[in-house]
Amino acid sequence: MERKKTKSRREFIISSMRFGMVLSLGGVGGLAFRNSTKEQWVWQIDPFKCSWCGRCATHCVLNPSAVKCVHAYELCGYCDLCGGYLIPGHSARSTAAENQLCPTAAIERKFIEEPYYEYKINEDLCIGCAKCAEGCSAFGNGSLHLQVMHHLCVNCNECAIARACPSDAISRVKASGPYLMKGDFTSDGGET
Amino acid sequence: MREFAYKYLRHLPVVVFVGGLLAVGWWLLYNPWTALGPSLPGADGYTGSESDAGEMIAIGAHFEEMRPAVSAGIESWPRFRGEHFDNIYHNRVPLIDDFSQGGTEILWSVELGEGHAGPAIFEGLVYLLDYDEEQRADMLRVFSLETGEEQWRRWYNVHIRRNHGMSRTVPAISDEFILTIGPRGHVMCVDRLTGDLLWGIDLEREWNAEIPLWYTGQCPLLDDGVAVIAPGGDALMIGVDAATGDILWEVPNPNGWEMSHSSIIPFTYEGIKMYVYSAVGGAVGVAAGGPQAGEVLWEVPEWNHRVLAASPVCLPDGRIFLTAGYGAGSMMLQLHNRNGTIEPEILSTFRPGEGLSSEQQTPVYVDGHLFGVLPKDARAYRNQFVCADPDEITSFVWTSGSTARFGLGPFILADDKFYLLDDDGTLHIIEKNLRAFRLLDSKRLIEDGHDAWAPLAIADGYMLLRDDQTMICIDLKR
Repeated sequence: MERKKTKSRREFIISSMRFGMVLSLGGVGGLAFRNSTKEQWVWQIDPFKCSWCGRCATHCVLNPSAVKCVHAYELCGYCDLCGGYLIPGHSARSTAAENQLCPTAAIERKFIEEPYYEYKINEDLCIGCAKCAEGCSAFGNGSLHLQVMHHLCVNCNECAIARACPSDAISRVKASGPYLMKGDFTSDGGET
Repeated sequence: MREFAYKYLRHLPVVVFVGGLLAVGWWLLYNPWTALGPSLPGADGYTGSESDAGEMIAIGAHFEEMRPAVSAGIESWPRFRGEHFDNIYHNRVPLIDDFSQGGTEILWSVELGEGHAGPAIFEGLVYLLDYDEEQRADMLRVFSLETGEEQWRRWYNVHIRRNHGMSRTVPAISDEFILTIGPRGHVMCVDRLTGDLLWGIDLEREWNAEIPLWYTGQCPLLDDGVAVIAPGGDALMIGVDAATGDILWEVPNPNGWEMSHSSIIPFTYEGIKMYVYSAVGGAVGVAAGGPQAGEVLWEVPEWNHRVLAASPVCLPDGRIFLTAGYGAGSMMLQLHNRNGTIEPEILSTFRPGEGLSSEQQTPVYVDGHLFGVLPKDARAYRNQFVCADPDEITSFVWTSGSTARFGLGPFILADDKFYLLDDDGTLHIIEKNLRAFRLLDSKRLIEDGHDAWAPLAIADGYMLLRDDQTMICIDLKR
């Protein structure tokens, strides 16, 4: 009767190490697979909570900020007297610099027909200061509002603007629905 | 090594010098702003107003009678802010405290042209200056208060472009006359009993009036047979004989003040009767009646805002509360009678959110307090219903709180309750209370209501409410 072969200490250590390496390789692979398939999260502004404090322009790690003004055209009144475009106490409802509220002239005003005007945001010029969003909300329908632009945002682990936001308007949202545009949802979270 | 250094490095100073020269030249010549341009007027492609001011409008040219007008009511709400200009229903008819007691049944409704014109009620008949979008006409329509059946209509064709609503004013009714102002400043006076046209004035064409943004919001005033209108342009204010259309007096306008959406409010202070008006340019008090009629008694040019909708609120002690939206805020004046000469004193001026202000609706003064809905730019207080003590106008006695906001809410005080209509057609009942806000009940009465901004009217217990498309009648009697 052949005697059962016993493992030497060396063989035991080697096989244990092999087993451990296979196990850790499988674990790393599994984690990598899980990370590659799980839902990603990105930062976004809830426009119904935003209080237009201006910190989006000054607290983003990027300069200029990754926060820009966007326009919900379906809400816009296309007003001649646009509170988002014209400075309070403006001398005329025109495109003259002294009448514009935006510090970088990032809003383009275009005459459509009497008495309607269209307002477009030039994203390259917008610094996310929220002056227009505040003016639009104070005097109009609130169609101008801020959003984090994800082709610019570096998605910091801890968003510097979210830390500074006084109204807790910035939170993580699923990357599959990265924008909270007015007109697409309501202040109570429902879909329009 | 030395040869190498001599060969190549001996030119180094020259190279550095030339390089420096080029750098300075570049620095001097480079303009980093070439990509930028000045923001000049006209960049929006606006090529000038297509003014219709010269167009001749045959005011009141058309008439149609559907059925003989039968009056079935006793009470009246004969003009903007009611009989006493205070927006208070003084009849002691008990009205509902909540909707379990009634008020939910729509007695009748009528589809209207898009707008915010409010109705007036005179002894069972409802008068409304509608804009008929099909016929393109300012149309004075008369309905039965009880049934909603249309009795007759008088109209004139005028093209009004859609601009956040078209119609905006409340007619003024007296025993004899009906007085209206259309969106483009067409004043029409009609015999109340027969519907016959008496006269018309085109304020834009005849008085060079500048029609305000979003059209005329000034509700006309009939005062003892005199139609009192504020055209701006050639005259700040005019008094017209309601029977004949003759101009009785006119107030010169040397400063070129313009018509606002605010309405003229009559006020008697220490026996001196005046018309108080908040124009674009300033506030003014004009002598009413007597040989002095039409004389400027006082003016406050410091009250100058581009968009003025609320009317002056005149307090019995000679204080006048002025308010406006769009960033303007409010001003409290005190009139002083110095040997028959009225002198205004500015008591306080403050921004929205720093005290009582209003974008559209005129506050109500009752029991020594002012009640109103704050504008959207009142920051944390936006659209809240508030109570303020005129002695401490920059603070609130109470506010409705962050969970009770009311849009641009038209409201009326009746039977010691405020009936306040939200933008979406929800009617709220709020207790008149000097200590705290107390909401009694709310009910959405206009399905899919939108921009319900028109002033409310109430008579014989029936209340008329409208949004931008539909007017409804409800019975508020308990």
